[in-house]
Amino acid sequence: MKKAPSLILASAFLLGSMATLTACEKPDYVLKVCNWAEYIDEGGKDGYDYEMTGERAAPIYKRFTEWYKEQTGLNVKVEYSTFETNEELYNKMTLGDTYDLVCPSDYMIMKMAAEGMLETYDSSFYDESVESNYYAKNLSSYIDSVFSAKEIGSKKLSDYAAGYMWGTTGLIYNPEIVSEADLSTWAVLSNPKYKNKVTSKDNIRDSYFAALAIHYEDELKKLAADYQSGALTYAQYNVKITELMNDTSDKTIAAAEKILMNIKDNIYSFETDNGKEDFMTGKVTVNFCWSGDGIYVIDQLEEEDVFVNYCIPDTASNLWFDGWVMPKGANKEISQAFVNFLSMPENAIRNTYYIGYSSVLAGDEMFDYMTDTYGVDEGDEVELEYDVSYFFGEGLVIGTYADQAKRQLFAQYPTEETLARLAIMDYYEPEANNKLNNMWTNIKG
Amino acid sequence: MKFHFSRKQLCIPYAVFLVCFVLIPMFIIVFYAFTAPVMENGVQVGITFSFDNLVDLFTNPTKLLNMGRSILIGLLTTVICLLIAYPVAYILARSGIRRNAVLLLLFIVPMWVNFVLRVNALKELLSWIGILGASDFWNYFNTVLGMVYDFLPFMILPLYTTLLKIDNSYVEAAKDLGASAPVAFWKVTLPLSYPGIVSGITMVFLPSMTNYVVSTLLGNGKVGIIGSLIEQSFLNSQWNAGSMMALLLLVVMFVSTWLTGGFQNEDAASSRGGNLW
Repeated sequence: MKKAPSLILASAFLLGSMATLTACEKPDYVLKVCNWAEYIDEGGKDGYDYEMTGERAAPIYKRFTEWYKEQTGLNVKVEYSTFETNEELYNKMTLGDTYDLVCPSDYMIMKMAAEGMLETYDSSFYDESVESNYYAKNLSSYIDSVFSAKEIGSKKLSDYAAGYMWGTTGLIYNPEIVSEADLSTWAVLSNPKYKNKVTSKDNIRDSYFAALAIHYEDELKKLAADYQSGALTYAQYNVKITELMNDTSDKTIAAAEKILMNIKDNIYSFETDNGKEDFMTGKVTVNFCWSGDGIYVIDQLEEEDVFVNYCIPDTASNLWFDGWVMPKGANKEISQAFVNFLSMPENAIRNTYYIGYSSVLAGDEMFDYMTDTYGVDEGDEVELEYDVSYFFGEGLVIGTYADQAKRQLFAQYPTEETLARLAIMDYYEPEANNKLNNMWTNIKG
Repeated sequence: MKFHFSRKQLCIPYAVFLVCFVLIPMFIIVFYAFTAPVMENGVQVGITFSFDNLVDLFTNPTKLLNMGRSILIGLLTTVICLLIAYPVAYILARSGIRRNAVLLLLFIVPMWVNFVLRVNALKELLSWIGILGASDFWNYFNTVLGMVYDFLPFMILPLYTTLLKIDNSYVEAAKDLGASAPVAFWKVTLPLSYPGIVSGITMVFLPSMTNYVVSTLLGNGKVGIIGSLIEQSFLNSQWNAGSMMALLLLVVMFVSTWLTGGFQNEDAASSRGGNLW
């Protein structure tokens, strides 16, 4: 009878779980949300609430149920799942998985929209006079202008997507070891001076982008000079850069392949996630990273009294963002409510705190949070008035330490003058995409 | 009608498993391998029968180079595993120590540790020594090292079970007839352990051609093997090209099993230690 106790336990457990199942009333709707892994406040010990109050909170997507019930009386359960790459999400969706709300990146949003896979947001979603339209009320005017300027067919990007997080791509480096002049262009990736001391990204998009910036270095420098001299306006300059950085002509792809081969020989590794670790342990001295990862690394090293910087090369860089889109067949009303729930100031701060990336949302609360995080400590003298007015609104600056101009704050919110040289990645037609994939296969061999 | 239970019905669960998870997926792979999407203005409108994937596989220099590299890595891993595993298996099988306990401790316990964890641990170790990503040579060296580390038990166990079953009186007879110890080993033990060697090789060779976790982590993403190529294709929605490569591996597997007599129906099967796996 050795097995008896475990049997009793097992049946007790089964009965117990059945009891909880029956106790839980049947939801009126199950909202299926698919997001990047670790890309939402999961509550618990790493959550903002624990930091502030010492109490562990539930993940934000579970809190939605409660909030929505208060608003409408409907019992909506959120079925939350995650994905690792944009392509994986796209494959899931084309193979028949259904979702109400997913969070792909810039080029994938455009691809999905162009292929007719997405619902559009209601115009009432952007009505700022409605109390519960937190997204519309808090959206940064800068992101708003980017989303309204981008056209997809006859519609705008903002019709299809509500922004979530945004940032740039750049390089983190230790200024005591690496000369900043070397980092003014992306050519640092193939610079023999940094043989085996620099990493690139193990995905075709980011690596191709860097290769293009090297290929078009002279053109990009000339454009920059024209912009400086006033021959080009901000908009003209930005459009030209975006065109160059999305070039997929055969000639360019062939040139990029050569450049990427050189990069492969020169870099330490193509990495997805290991680069942070390799940089922190000193194996590499320059790490090609997304701004959010850069902030994470800078924070981590700061605790060890090592002070590293984040920079955006002078030629061009990528403006990336992830946004909530509704696949065809989604429940628009609840999905939009979910986006608004995430956009409530306290929730936006929770997410920003948890993820460490920059939210597309501005608003007083977010500004105060950023000031608290990056502003000078009480009693210290303000060394730098960091201008974030383009993002948070007229006249707003964060009084901070001088080095923040190259560190976390710069990674969170690049200076206004860098914005002009940030290009958004377009989606590519299947034919060009295939060529690029084949090129990448050649690189990765 | 009354239900009659017979032993045959015990096979039903496996038959269902076989159809759902082996036959149907294999059919899908073959289907994709020999088709191509028909595109019109960038939108897929249908599919067509095509040999393009096959032609591409054998004409694309990158893929050919990649296959050559995979085979080389697979061969190296297999040979090194064999050279290390044979003496170990031999000593274990011949020793008087309480074999099972030792065997279990030495080879099974490390295998309980999660595979990705072990590879990552090895990675840290190599990086501490300073050879991780040091140069192309070290990238390849580390990849093969990781493969050997990973697949060694799969070589030792079949060898061990085969060697254990060899009746010692054969060797004694050879010695009585005047053979020296090395000659007796060479002429008697080695040929008799052939089935174990064969199943060890099949257990190691193909998996080490495709285990891209090892090559990605320990080769710093610079050593491409056919496994990573297949993954890449599927990630990029190139289903057809990816399926063709997967099909090629299936064919290689089939041919190698056939060549080494894996489909023979004799009583050899009972002496083949490989059945352990």
